[in-house]
Amino acid sequence: MLQQVLHEIEQAQGTWSLTELARKLELEPGVLEGMIAFWVRKGRIAADRVEGQACSSGSCGDCAAGCPFAGAAPRTFRPVLIDPATISKQPEHPAE
Amino acid sequence: MTVSYFPLHARRSTVNYEQRLEEAITQISNVLTMLPEFQQYQPRWLAIQLLEGDADVLQQLQVLPQSGTLLPMLDEIRTRLQAHYGDDLDVVLTDQRYTFVNRLVQQVMTRPAAHALTLSDKIDRVVTHRWLGIPIFLALMWIVFKITSDVAAPLLDWVDGVITGPITSWAVTLLTFAGVSGTWIESLAVDGIIAGVGGVLVFVPVLMSLYFALALLEDSGYMARAAFVMDRLMRTLGLHGKSFLPMIVGFGCTVPAIYATRTLEHEKDRILTGLLVPFMSCSARLPVYILLAAVFFPLYGGIIVFSMYLLGIIVAIVLGFIFKHTVFRGQEQIPFIMELPPYRLPTLKGIWFHMWEKTAAFVRKAWTIIMITSIVVWLLIAIPVGGSGSFADTDIDQSAFAAISGSFAQVFAPLGFGSWQSSGALLTGFVAKEVVVSTMAQIYGVDAEEEEQAEATTFFEDLGTIATSFGSAVFDTVRSIPLIVGINLFEAEEEEEPTALMDSIRNGFEESSGGHGALSALSFLVFVLLYTPCMVATAAARQEFGNRWMWVSVIGQFAVAWLVALIVFQGGVLLGLG
Repeated sequence: MLQQVLHEIEQAQGTWSLTELARKLELEPGVLEGMIAFWVRKGRIAADRVEGQACSSGSCGDCAAGCPFAGAAPRTFRPVLIDPATISKQPEHPAE
Repeated sequence: MTVSYFPLHARRSTVNYEQRLEEAITQISNVLTMLPEFQQYQPRWLAIQLLEGDADVLQQLQVLPQSGTLLPMLDEIRTRLQAHYGDDLDVVLTDQRYTFVNRLVQQVMTRPAAHALTLSDKIDRVVTHRWLGIPIFLALMWIVFKITSDVAAPLLDWVDGVITGPITSWAVTLLTFAGVSGTWIESLAVDGIIAGVGGVLVFVPVLMSLYFALALLEDSGYMARAAFVMDRLMRTLGLHGKSFLPMIVGFGCTVPAIYATRTLEHEKDRILTGLLVPFMSCSARLPVYILLAAVFFPLYGGIIVFSMYLLGIIVAIVLGFIFKHTVFRGQEQIPFIMELPPYRLPTLKGIWFHMWEKTAAFVRKAWTIIMITSIVVWLLIAIPVGGSGSFADTDIDQSAFAAISGSFAQVFAPLGFGSWQSSGALLTGFVAKEVVVSTMAQIYGVDAEEEEQAEATTFFEDLGTIATSFGSAVFDTVRSIPLIVGINLFEAEEEEEPTALMDSIRNGFEESSGGHGALSALSFLVFVLLYTPCMVATAAARQEFGNRWMWVSVIGQFAVAWLVALIVFQGGVLLGLG
């Protein structure tokens, strides 16, 4: 099942929402999120989010605690293309 | 969905892995059972952790005297199994656990044949629809800008009245008490700081209403859908779908939007998106649109502001399309999954938090960058260049600011605003876009001052006026809400008289454009939308993409802005508009 999720994300044509993918795989969205979180920990899927790091340099006025404008973008997941030979070079803490 | 309940004493289901894995687990468990150091753990659990490569358990094992025989055995088993399964063992084991759970769930749960749609699913079917999604996005943007231009107008007028009236009057009185009335200190305080900073602060209600509308969209979960819908459009045009995520951030501020390009995988996509992001109209440009729309297009403020935002998106998409098929061609698209949060009813507390956070950032900027720039502009206005004036007592046309700004005003002459006033405002706009407005308030305000005669009032009369005018402004704001859907409750009343500053701005544009004031104002707005971003955004571009691309952005955007503004003005004149 995990492999199927990774395969679907790698082979997806265009952009999918998490809900659409969960429906396609006949999974509960919460279960799919758990599976994606596993692949993120494994480094095979990257989770990107625009965080409030934008003004951490202090260059943009006085918002060092985080840019108030950076929160609008949603989280996205994309496959990380890796060389199969590099798999298992580093032990990971499992998701039990 | 129904669930079957098993009595507690029913058969326990245990996770059984494939035979090869079970054999390995048993082999390792048997060895671990003999280790007194691990007696507190279940040997089977420990064996699974070791197969999965749990760093903590491995570390504990390494310090044991038996590790010399245990670790090579473990390595041999792991290598053998990984070769067999062709993947990391933790992936294999977790996958088999998920399969087990899935099978178990299927045994105890009966799902309805058709997947029941949640409310979020039902809304998404419409909102993220392939054809309806973009019109819905545009319609919501339209409502946002109607709120900012129409609903916020009464409060804007109230703040303007307070700053130009009582606050200025109190400052003058205080300075008179201090014995500096009529000196350059009074000019600095009134014509420099109050006119400059106050000229920007009057737009706080407008920005608050923009942040209110954006907070509603963000907290309800719609903003993620907007990104999703626009992403599909971008992808259809061959652009990187994820480019629109930084662009959404760019509606607030260009600086975090430039940093948001880090979420793109490839450098080419990052640079291309970084070049396009500044075309999104940041909230700092909104005061410029509102000011000039109020002067030249008082009945069409919402359309003007909406058009500017839309034009920014169109220019970004067109340029992105051209670049993607020329300079940045050949980058493979990577698929991605977007998390769309369920729709929620926004809370008052959440909306207030967003509004306050962003408005506070704006006000902080007014008291720092904008105030410093206003002082510098005042200083340049105070220094005489030629003529018979002295410091802080010179004709503004003879000032250093007019001389500096006038030296490149001719560049803008074909665009309809070749005056030193306009070029000066654009020049200072490089510091921050709001400064365009504060500079205009300073340089046009000098002329306006001469025309306005204020009646002398007492402090308490001023307080009373502030309170009563606030009440009227709130009442008018409520009455303005139906304007969003085109119902005008103000029709019976007379149109508001333009202020002296507005008259001064109108005359300035009329003069510089040979009588095509409205067209030149539109051309100016287009230029402000598209031209070189502020210095902080430029520094961010340099940090993210290097010097070369920063210059491409600075010069390229200036050229694009000049060209589009030229088309607007000259095209309008040729067609007999304005």
